[in-house]
Amino acid sequence: MRESLYRIWGLVVKEFLQLGRDKLLLGFVLLGPLLELTLMGGLAGGGVKNLPLAVVDLDRSRASRELIARLEQTDELSIKTYGDNLAQAQGWMQSGQVAVIVVVPPAYGEALTNPQQGAEVQVIADGTNHVVSTVAAATTENVAAEVVRDLTARHAVASAGPVELRFVARFNAFLDDRPHAITMMLGLIVYQVTLIIASQSLTRERELGTLEQLRVTPLGRLELMMGKAIPTLLVGLVDCLLMTGVIAAWFDVPMRGSLVVLMLLTVPFILAQIGWGTLISLISHTQQQALLFVFALAMLEVALSGFMVPAGDLPGVMRALSAVSSVQHYLVIVRGVMLRGAGWGALWSPALALSGIALAVTTLAWLRLRAGLDTDSLKLRLQVLWHIYRRNRRERQAGYGAKKSGEDRRKKPGLTKGPAYADVRVEVDE
Amino acid sequence: MSIKRFLSILTKEYRHILREPRTLWMVFLSPALVLVALSTIFVSGSSHLKVVLWDQDRTPVSRQFAGSLSSDSNFSVGYVSNYEEIEASLVDRRIDAALIIPPGFADTVQRGDTAPVQVILDGVDTLIAGQATGSLLGHAAHFGLALSRQLALPRAPLEVRSKSAYLPDASERDSMIPGLIPIVFSLPVMAAALALTRERETGSLEALVATPVRGLEYLGGKLVAYVTAALVGLLPVWLAATALFGVPFRGSPVLLVVLAADFLLASVGLALFIGNMVRSQQAATVIALFVFFVPGFFLAGLIDPIDTTNLASAAISYVMPSTHFVTICRAIFLKGASLAEVWQPALALLVLSIVWVGLGTLTFKKRMR
Repeated sequence: MRESLYRIWGLVVKEFLQLGRDKLLLGFVLLGPLLELTLMGGLAGGGVKNLPLAVVDLDRSRASRELIARLEQTDELSIKTYGDNLAQAQGWMQSGQVAVIVVVPPAYGEALTNPQQGAEVQVIADGTNHVVSTVAAATTENVAAEVVRDLTARHAVASAGPVELRFVARFNAFLDDRPHAITMMLGLIVYQVTLIIASQSLTRERELGTLEQLRVTPLGRLELMMGKAIPTLLVGLVDCLLMTGVIAAWFDVPMRGSLVVLMLLTVPFILAQIGWGTLISLISHTQQQALLFVFALAMLEVALSGFMVPAGDLPGVMRALSAVSSVQHYLVIVRGVMLRGAGWGALWSPALALSGIALAVTTLAWLRLRAGLDTDSLKLRLQVLWHIYRRNRRERQAGYGAKKSGEDRRKKPGLTKGPAYADVRVEVDE
Repeated sequence: MSIKRFLSILTKEYRHILREPRTLWMVFLSPALVLVALSTIFVSGSSHLKVVLWDQDRTPVSRQFAGSLSSDSNFSVGYVSNYEEIEASLVDRRIDAALIIPPGFADTVQRGDTAPVQVILDGVDTLIAGQATGSLLGHAAHFGLALSRQLALPRAPLEVRSKSAYLPDASERDSMIPGLIPIVFSLPVMAAALALTRERETGSLEALVATPVRGLEYLGGKLVAYVTAALVGLLPVWLAATALFGVPFRGSPVLLVVLAADFLLASVGLALFIGNMVRSQQAATVIALFVFFVPGFFLAGLIDPIDTTNLASAAISYVMPSTHFVTICRAIFLKGASLAEVWQPALALLVLSIVWVGLGTLTFKKRMR
């Protein structure tokens, strides 16, 4: 046991030495996450702002100018040009210069105060980005509600319609997009850093030929896995802690829950990535392949994490898959702790799911490791078994006609004496 | 620059790609496979929101509102009768929004005044909150119209009729799939970065330095090999988008191929620059993912369009090749744009490719010594 710990310790030290020697890599692993989070958190994630708008004012009355002024005041829209007719504005949309067109019809001002008529404003949004159309419609809807409220206050019209919805938002009063986006970035950055480090560790040794050297040491398979996992876990935790600090200090994202709970629940999240990474590094020949596996896996995790489509909206199969997406569970935890101030009571189910995923993936990686350190060994073993099976069958078939001596029949088919594949060797190319 | 040496590097790169079945399918087919996997998450139908309703009024009119809400297929409606239940369901994420109909709702409506209905949203997921706002506003307007006709009330003085151009049903799937194409092409692009670093790490670059091959020939060979390999992968991507998911393709296929080559030149150039700057493949991987993965989703204008009035943010977005190609893909697929309409992003990509390939060649010379 003690010797085993020594060996793991030795591997951990070696991994850290290797990391420390590559200054650029070390810098990127430790400072890259902070840099990326600050940069992207500062620039993106503020929601939709200043969509270029073309106004076609066919009324040119005081009322229409008032409406246009209100549109300009919104955060979401920003007037870029005024068009004389719809066709001209549509030309601008076709070349991507404007994203939204608002058409104020002729006689808009009179229709507005006429109780029999009612006015109508037309909004055309560039549907090639569905977010633009949603935001444009909702913003104009809000502006229209303001106009009507103003009119009723001035008693210009009797009523603003029978029902009015008044919105309040819990946990995030101004519906600021930033906490949502920044927690997403936190989860994704921890994810990518740990997954890359874990997925490249064994592949790199194989590609550079140092895996051979590791194999002749007394290091066992489990020890190898643990020695590789511990540095990744530490790096991931340090990154997560640093980024949480930056989020609390720089961005107005509240930390309503306990930091200790967050860090404790980050551990199974990172362990799951280490499991995936080890699995990838066991089945890749080269680091190039490992990167491609990582990227494909990461894309799927992002897709299932509720970033592009809310998790509840996913179609059936994908919703089932999203139950095993560790990013999705981790984001529930991060947002629960930071924004909702949730404790263990509300977090146990994602925490349990995350631990389950970590355990399952690590077991898979362990089983694959037991099958052999070489990428091909599983395939090779199956090939050898198939070969033996075919040889036996051939012998049996040949045996029926030719020789039927008692000695042969007593021999059970399928059991050959001695090692069946003593001489199997794996050649890693290059 | 010798054509012969360039061609021999090119053949060598092709052999690297073609030799390993795993690399081969990942360079040619993985963009299409990842696109298919990503696209299946978008349903063509509308979304489903979980709401609870607390009816404090309990009159025929308020029940009519509740009834219209539950018969709307956009919502699944539950009923509660106190505030604690609402708060608990919000913390447990069981609901997306809660509605409270205040006492006196029916009286106010029948007087001809406007009756307020309180909506409590879960503000944590702003994506869902925005959807809920839109759907509820739409529903309230619809209900208000029906009610005023029924009770012979004056109609609302101002109505907004919104429609979305190019995709009348504002389909999420059709708008996202063309936008995702640049992101799925990060796969072959990042493979190029590692192809460069790999030679440095395994020592075969030393052998190449000893040959008469020059920096530009070497980089150019790698560049052309990976750009053409990825271009072949465009066909399955295009087939997946149009045939499998029914995304309309209104533009010219030739223009798409030409501009895709433009985009790949710029991104493979950037990848080669990264691969050239680092010593180990591990470092190249980390940096490539930092540059291509998370910013691809957040800064390329895939979901939130780029705020052109904020210069700092726009400048960083415009340095990334995928930003321009997101615009181009959406324009060609959905708007049927011609070159005259997308010349700006096309030119930007051309400039970016010259800059990155140039920087790569310059730094490569230095690092050879």
